[in-house]
Amino acid sequence: MKPLLRKTLKPYLTYIIVVLAISIPIYYWVIDAIWEHELDEYNSIVANKTAHSFNSLQLSPTELANSLELWNRIQPSTTIRKIQVGESLLDSSFNISRKEPFNKAEKLDRFRYLSKIIYIHNQPYRFTIQTNIEETRETIGHLATITLLLVLLLVSGLLYLNRRLSQQIWTPFQKTLASLKKFQLNQQQLPAFTKSDIKEFQELNTAIETMVEHSISVYKTQKEFTENASHELQTPLAILKNKLDLLLQSEGLTEQQYQLAEEMNGALLRSTRINKNLLLLAKIENNQFDSSEKVSIDTILLQSLDTLKEYMDQKNIGLVQHIVSPVDKNASSGLTELLCNNLLLNAIRNTREGGQISVLLDNQQLEISNSGQQALDPKQLFTRFSGISKSTGGTGLGLAIVQEICKFQQWAIQYEFRDGSHYFRVGFGNSTFLQN
Amino acid sequence: MKILLVEDEVELARSIIKFLTEQEYLCEWAANVEDATEKIGLHVYDCILLDLNLPDGNGLNLLELLRKDKKEEGVIILSANNSLEDKIRGLHIGADDYLTKPFHLSELAARIFSIVRRKQFSHSNIIRQNELEIDLLAKSVTVQKKPVTLTKKEFDLLIYFLGNKNRVLSKSTLAEHLSGDFADMLDNHDFVYAHVKNLKKKLTEAGCDNYLRTVYGTGYKWESN
Repeated sequence: MKPLLRKTLKPYLTYIIVVLAISIPIYYWVIDAIWEHELDEYNSIVANKTAHSFNSLQLSPTELANSLELWNRIQPSTTIRKIQVGESLLDSSFNISRKEPFNKAEKLDRFRYLSKIIYIHNQPYRFTIQTNIEETRETIGHLATITLLLVLLLVSGLLYLNRRLSQQIWTPFQKTLASLKKFQLNQQQLPAFTKSDIKEFQELNTAIETMVEHSISVYKTQKEFTENASHELQTPLAILKNKLDLLLQSEGLTEQQYQLAEEMNGALLRSTRINKNLLLLAKIENNQFDSSEKVSIDTILLQSLDTLKEYMDQKNIGLVQHIVSPVDKNASSGLTELLCNNLLLNAIRNTREGGQISVLLDNQQLEISNSGQQALDPKQLFTRFSGISKSTGGTGLGLAIVQEICKFQQWAIQYEFRDGSHYFRVGFGNSTFLQN
Repeated sequence: MKILLVEDEVELARSIIKFLTEQEYLCEWAANVEDATEKIGLHVYDCILLDLNLPDGNGLNLLELLRKDKKEEGVIILSANNSLEDKIRGLHIGADDYLTKPFHLSELAARIFSIVRRKQFSHSNIIRQNELEIDLLAKSVTVQKKPVTLTKKEFDLLIYFLGNKNRVLSKSTLAEHLSGDFADMLDNHDFVYAHVKNLKKKLTEAGCDNYLRTVYGTGYKWESN
């Protein structure tokens, strides 16, 4: 995974390098053309000026011949010679590379030649001039150096700008991301987004805000529905229960009718419990408990064990316990009791006759394990009505409540299956009791 | 014995009244705080059953009023709210007991029985049935003046039976009484059976008549005339 800006940077850099690379031959071609043109102009001016100078001197043909002889000797880059019979009178200009005889280095010099017909005393002469012109290699070398420098400057500049931009421009985005990461639906709190002057980010914030608001309201409605439904169900359940009690007392009730009433009683008890648990979950989610009391976990755990010991004995379940004392935490005593009871009940219910339950408590964690056959799906385990507990007659909410309690008290719950035992571990984390 | 039921839900009130009347309690009914206040002012009751969520106010206010007037009626709060805070607050203001809806009528009867006895016989609270004597304060049982040692659960069961004389008590009702909230979580019908069997055995071995009858195969009934 790469940051977005690094992704855009790469094609930009490639494009810049390609363009600048292409620019080198183009520059060369343009500069060379300008240079040749200028030198042609210069050469032609020199030719015309020389013709004009000779013409303005009143020289006899012999003197002229001598002068030309002298000229050809002392002017190294120009020659003037008489036109041969049948020679064409056309002008021409061209480049030539050659080695200077006085130059020791094995280096070719490039020259611009002009061969032009000039008239001295109405006689045609061929005037040739050669002017040194920058070599192709050198021109390209210079251009490449400059281009390379520019590329380096551009790349380093872009990299620097990119880093600064990613810090500056993306700040609002990072902030939005951070508040989204912290967001929890059940806390019912709209994350605070900082205003941004960047249109896209502001739009993103607005869109997320709308979405989150909607989710919160849907969640709230759903929760309220469960809560209200459970609340409204309480009275009819109570009425049913009492009517069944009256039915049991009726004169002339047959044994068959009695059994039916008992079965109804059992189902009713289960629905009552599901209802109670749903209300309890709603209450935990609504933060209607105080988790700041100093709670003696060891005392609560020992009480739970004491209450439930009988049920273990009844199933011949062996109990191993290592309980450190004292273990004090900031928590809600009511919820902690529920947590211990639910975990122990879960262990008792799911252990076969003659199995074993072990309970470990120290300052870091509470671990309750029971013998079992095969691992359970940890993803499903803590979900409401996940179906795992159906076979054993539970409500399917016991472990969901355990998880909610842990979440509420900022404890961590973990499930593990190893060596033929189910392990439920509650880590108290950093919520240790703070001495006042 | 006079009982005042303060409850706004008609069907619940009817069931409770019917159940208690059969047990020779005289039951009066008030559906709101106003009615209840008037009735408390006019009569003396042995026990008041108080619902907290009433149409014209909170039942706790009624309780405060009672305790301010130094009235000695036993009060059992009947609430749909299972929260510990409410329970503690109710008991703190001066309720004698707290029962969360939904409850079994036999459970209510047993609670009323205990409270009424406690209020009436504050010094020596002894229940007698022929050769059987139960001291509620000392929590001891004697048969023909000889002590019988019962476990806490067995004693609890015995009081429950005595509070519901001549009534059919089903196994599931007893399970709920003994295990409270855990009743449906554990398959504890054998558990109930074991406790009842032990109680019965201890009493008969001590020379007590068998008052505890099995009815409809799995139910129980404590007989007394």
